[in-house]
Amino acid sequence: MTVLEPFLVCGAAKSLQDRSSSVRAGDEELVALAQSGNEQAFEQLVERHKQKAYHIAFDFCRDREDAKDLSQDAFLKAFVNLKNFDGRSSFYTWFYRILVNLCLDYKRRQKRSPTDSFDETLEPQMERSHEPSQPRSPDQQVLARQMSRRVDAALQALPAKQRTAFILKNHQGLSIKEIAELMQTAEGTVKVHLHRAVTALRHSLAEFV
Amino acid sequence: MQLLSPCTNLEENLVLFHYGELPPPERFSLEQHLSGCANCTAYLKDLSALLPLTVKADDPPATFWLDYNRELRHKIASTRDKSWLPAKFGAFFQPRLLTAFGAIAVIAVALTLTLGKGVWQSRDVPREDEALMEVLPMAEDLDFFKTMDVLDNLDVLEFMGNQRGPA
Repeated sequence: MTVLEPFLVCGAAKSLQDRSSSVRAGDEELVALAQSGNEQAFEQLVERHKQKAYHIAFDFCRDREDAKDLSQDAFLKAFVNLKNFDGRSSFYTWFYRILVNLCLDYKRRQKRSPTDSFDETLEPQMERSHEPSQPRSPDQQVLARQMSRRVDAALQALPAKQRTAFILKNHQGLSIKEIAELMQTAEGTVKVHLHRAVTALRHSLAEFV
Repeated sequence: MQLLSPCTNLEENLVLFHYGELPPPERFSLEQHLSGCANCTAYLKDLSALLPLTVKADDPPATFWLDYNRELRHKIASTRDKSWLPAKFGAFFQPRLLTAFGAIAVIAVALTLTLGKGVWQSRDVPREDEALMEVLPMAEDLDFFKTMDVLDNLDVLEFMGNQRGPA
């Protein structure tokens, strides 16, 4: 097993197109019930989307507690504004748009008050999230930690729109169409953002190729 | 490390090809191109090696999700408690309602000042007696003048009596 293997989880990021369309009808019914005051219906919506929401938030902030707060805040915002949801887009798109906007706000706040997100206090938690199934040698651990820092720094350096398009495509496996809906932009624009993000990351992380 | 540059005009398509987002006609032509272009093939290999490295898996334990649900319920409950009163009172201060209330108030004042004029006058006196009531003060004035005439006459008589002297 190589040191890189713990990071090779791209396969897990499968397309959500089919999954989202299969739950969409159920979502609509639950939204209608929740809008009429049925709290259990909203709890069911949370149950359906919480893991996905958490993982998207985690991809943006790379911190377990922050990801939890961000995804919970997105559900809270959805709950408060559910009466304004008119069904023009699917609940799935509407909700993840709220979440992505919160994640981008979070990144903006972080830029205003920069903290070293890769400091020693956070690292153990970060490392736990990439715990390999087999034990690694100290050298491998050091290398993995260095690479983790470089990857995070490279992602942080991307402009917000490029990072959003890249995370939603590369990490979450959303289709270009879904990303365009979430970002409220044209599919062509998403393709451009994605291409630029990939090019920038390829240059930043050339040493790992 | 020196990165090989792919054909510039195909770079975006190579990214889309990597993610399986290139539509069939363009995909077929790119596949044909790849069979003869070492740089573009190397670029694709780079992407396949590099991009998965940027993904970080995080699989929180079951207890995390229990806390997650509990915390979210608590957040929703506290938001509902906070928002109840402001929502009720806030409804009265919405711009549309304020404008409506203002318009109603202005109309009410205008109606009171125009149509309502005289509404509060007493209706104890029948309408046919109103003319009489209007004349009555004048009649009282006449009585006053008559009284004054009588007094004048009394003065004249007294004067005449004084001139004749005591009988």
